Order: sequence, then C-alpha cells, then structure tokens
Amino acid sequence: MRILSFTLLLLLLTAISYGQGEQEKKIKPKRTDNYIRMRGIRLGMDVTRPFQDLWTKGNRYGSEFSADLEVWPNWFSVFESGYEVMKVKTDFIDYTGQGSYSRIGFDYNFLQAEQKNDKDVLFFGLRYGFSLARQKVNQYWVDSYWGPVTGQFGNQNYFAHWGEFLIGIKGELFHNFYMGWTVRGKVKFNHKNLWMPPVYFIPGYGKAAKGFNMDFTYSIYYNIPWDFRKKKSAKTPEIKK
Amino acid sequence: MKQFVYLIFVLIIVNACKEVYEIPPQAFVQASFLNSSTKAAVSQNVTVWGVGHEYLWVKDSLLQKILLPLSSNDTTSFVISFDSKIDTITFIHQTMQKFASMESGFYFEYKLQSIDYTNNQIDSILITDSLVTKKWNENIKLYLTPSATDGN
Repeated sequence: MRILSFTLLLLLLTAISYGQGEQEKKIKPKRTDNYIRMRGIRLGMDVTRPFQDLWTKGNRYGSEFSADLEVWPNWFSVFESGYEVMKVKTDFIDYTGQGSYSRIGFDYNFLQAEQKNDKDVLFFGLRYGFSLARQKVNQYWVDSYWGPVTGQFGNQNYFAHWGEFLIGIKGELFHNFYMGWTVRGKVKFNHKNLWMPPVYFIPGYGKAAKGFNMDFTYSIYYNIPWDFRKKKSAKTPEIKK
Repeated sequence: MKQFVYLIFVLIIVNACKEVYEIPPQAFVQASFLNSSTKAAVSQNVTVWGVGHEYLWVKDSLLQKILLPLSSNDTTSFVISFDSKIDTITFIHQTMQKFASMESGFYFEYKLQSIDYTNNQIDSILITDSLVTKKWNENIKLYLTPSATDGN
C-alpha cells in the first residue's frame, strides 16, 4: 500500500510541476533531513530477474544482488551485480548467451523525511554498467529445396558497457526490511563486434542491437544493523518541526 | 486485485505472442524469358527440377519469370523443360552466409560468376545482376529460340 502511495505521489509531483510552468517561481526550502537515515549497508535481491522469461522473447532468466550505502545525507552509493542467461530455440536456431554484469552508481533521495525514523526514499539514480559474456550457436538450420544445411558457432566472448538512468522507491516494510522498484532507461555505449553471428544479448542490458532499452526491477532488501559510523551519528541533528 | 488480474492477463498475452518467429528470408535467382529475335518478354510452359534432385521445383506452369533456388555449394544445376525440349543450366556462384536474426537464424546470398547451359531451346543467357539477394530482382535474361515462343 505504501509503495502504491509513492507511485501516486510520483505521478502527482509530475503533474504539479507541469501545471505550475512559469506562473510562479517558488524558492525551494532547505531540506531539514540532512542526516544519514540509513545506518550500515543494505543488501538486496531483484526478485524479477528469474522471471524475465514471462515478458521477453526467448528464454531469459538470471539473478541479481545489490548493495547500497548512504554515504552522505540522501546520497546512496550503489553496487549491483548479477548473472543472466538468454536461450533462443526456434525451428531455425538454437542459441545461448550468458554472462555476468555489474553496475556502479548512486541514488539521490528527493523525498523529505517527515519523522526521524522515516527511511522511505523516492530517488533518481545513475549507473555505469558493464558485462563480460559469451554466446554460442549450438546449431542452426537453413532449409531449402536442396535440403537442410546445418552448422554451429562455438563460444564467442565479448565485453559490453552502458549507462543507466533510473527512478524508483524503497519503502521500509518492517524494521530493516525494505521493498522497492525502479524503472530504468539503458543507453548502450559500446560492445565488441563479432563477425558472425553478431552479439545478440548483453547480460544486464538486453538486446545488443538496440541502442536504448527499458527495464524495471522489483527488489527486496535487508539493512544490516551494523552502525559502523556510530560516533558520527551522535552528532546527528534533530528534525525541526 | 482487479489490477493484478489485468497484469496477469497482459503477461499471458505477451507470453503467447513471444513464441511467434519470422521465417528466414531466401535468396532466389530471378530469370526472365525473352524471345531471342524480338527481345520481347514471352510466357513459357515450363517444368523445372534440380539435377540429382527427385522433387520438381516447378511443374508444368505458364510463366514469364521464374525464381530458382541456389544451393549452398558453389555449383547449382537445373533441368528446364520447355514443352518437349529440355535444357540444363549450371550456375557457378559464390555462396555467402548471412545473419537474419537470432529468431530466424541464417540464410544464404550468392554472387553469380558464370552460367553454363545447353542450347536446345535456350539461345543465350545474359547476367543482368550477379548479386542474388533476399530482395528479389531480375538476375538473368533467358533468350529462347523463336520457334518455341511462337504463338505465346
């Protein structure tokens, strides 16, 4: 329910900012939540990765884990890493592409805390992603009047990298347990060119032929309750009400 | 709850559509029949089969143009029967493997190098475009002796 309300809030924010236009320029008040709200490292797992097969062409699945840490008030450094497999089997080809990928970046929370213990965040983020992968055509079939021609292509290794911008939320469901989603736009920077067949799938990115891919994630998180910045926390100012 | 049911419905539709794959393209030699005297296009009753192949490619059809499939080897031979007269055409070509998509796989395109033929009904053959690609266009003109094209 909380996640739903954040979604509505996001839509409202968009509508309000559009409606205001040039009519009035409000001076943005200073944030009163300039303090580290999340102590320790938060570990997460994307629960959508094993089920990508449901909405992608071919059989795509994998797993992804993440870690984030609030390094400065409202600024979270993020590391995400995973492994993905893509299999395509049709009457004409049997293809497998697989590999690991990682992303590093940050999130900025622009949802102001209303209470000191409020740890929910609505954020914008940027990522740099890269992947080391390999692909293989186990067998292909070319049918013709002269009879079928079959063949195969062995393992081909490649590297790819890309950038991501994203928007999302993370809400604390129970003490130290979070859930959240992101919607991402992915812009490909480059990948190794293979002669035949060309690179088809980039783990963590999607179809290599596209210069831009959209994606979404839905993750669960656990904040390890280990306050390694305890001394600093003693100086944390209270929220002004 | 209603939104959840709607989401499941959309996922089922997407899942049903995702297994539909396009068949790979095919490259054919397109041959036009012309009268060797008048150079005008003519329709011919033809039957075609590949040399060493038991199945007919074209069976007794009245055609002005014909599409011929080349093999992945460097030589492809056809027997063409114009009513009662029979000729053999042998294409010597380069074969190039092409990638269609990861769903459709691969296909072949060709570059014609030369053509050998018998002269029972065929007068001559002119290569107009040596590249045989998935975009079918005229590759050869097949000039037939007038006696066979009279009356068409």
